[in-house]
Amino acid sequence: MSATMNVPSNLRQFTGGQAVVECDGKTVGECLHDLARKFPGIEMGLFDTDGKLLHYLDVYVNLESSYPEELDKAVKDGDELHLTLFTVAGG
Amino acid sequence: MLTDDELERYDRQIAITGFGKEGQEKLKKAKAFLAGAGGLGCTISLYLAAAGVGTIRMVDPQTIELSNLNRQVLHWTEDIGRMKVDSATEKLRRLNPDVKVEAIGQKITAANISELTAGFDLLVDAMDNLPTRYLLNKIALEKNIPFFHGAVYGFEGRVMTILPGQTACLKCLYRGDIPEEKIPVVGVTPAIIGCIQAAEVIKYIVGIGQLLTNKLLIYDGLTMKFTELKVKKKSDCEHCGRLVKDEK
Repeated sequence: MSATMNVPSNLRQFTGGQAVVECDGKTVGECLHDLARKFPGIEMGLFDTDGKLLHYLDVYVNLESSYPEELDKAVKDGDELHLTLFTVAGG
Repeated sequence: MLTDDELERYDRQIAITGFGKEGQEKLKKAKAFLAGAGGLGCTISLYLAAAGVGTIRMVDPQTIELSNLNRQVLHWTEDIGRMKVDSATEKLRRLNPDVKVEAIGQKITAANISELTAGFDLLVDAMDNLPTRYLLNKIALEKNIPFFHGAVYGFEGRVMTILPGQTACLKCLYRGDIPEEKIPVVGVTPAIIGCIQAAEVIKYIVGIGQLLTNKLLIYDGLTMKFTELKVKKKSDCEHCGRLVKDEK
């Protein structure tokens, strides 16, 4: 399964500045692990030490949150994923 | 009743279809509580005051530092060391003397938030930390008044509007806390996000257009893309779950 992943700017240092990248996987977790294979170092910004999605990240599949399934959420061919960072600054 | 000066000052927005003198009267009567006088707070307050929102209360305990000036546009070089709320409200009064602007240089806490927000019609979130944002969310739900959320990071920002009991709340969107760090930000980001928050407030008061409810608008300034993500009310939400159940 091939999907597109929108990457937040704080993780684009690992994707060579690309805001949108291709990823393969049948679930959100598989897609994120595929990203980690393609873009070494990005996993530090995705997973905690137990391998769970960092609690201040959300992954949206076709504009809908994957929570609470998160990494287990199914992904179909052609789906659009958005990886978003919880943001708290007021400028 | 609008004065002749007010009719002239707001002439261009009164001319908007669905706005009119009636909308301007609503703005004049409205009382907006603004949490934060930083990058978002400066922009939001500037445009609410310019639009003629009758009362604006700004709350922020911080003083101005040189490193604030790339984005907090109501604070100028000569203001370094002043309270942010004093600097901001002075400029706002000069922009629009008809608006009542209140400066409160206090930290918002669980102990004082109810009193600070008493009598206000809506809350605007321009805070710099999640715990205070959660306090604002809870008090908005408790008082059944709308809550306008915005936040920034670098060239990115996000906006969501919350109508208690009707739409997803901040706690439906976020979980837990976020590690504290120095957040990078360029001034145009809080300017854009703050303007969108101000537009939401004005539309809500006047009663026109559609609000960003059950939607999280994400702005990416590097790709210049706006994306609307869907946000659902959680029936087991720690903050609004009870309100959701009460509606059934």
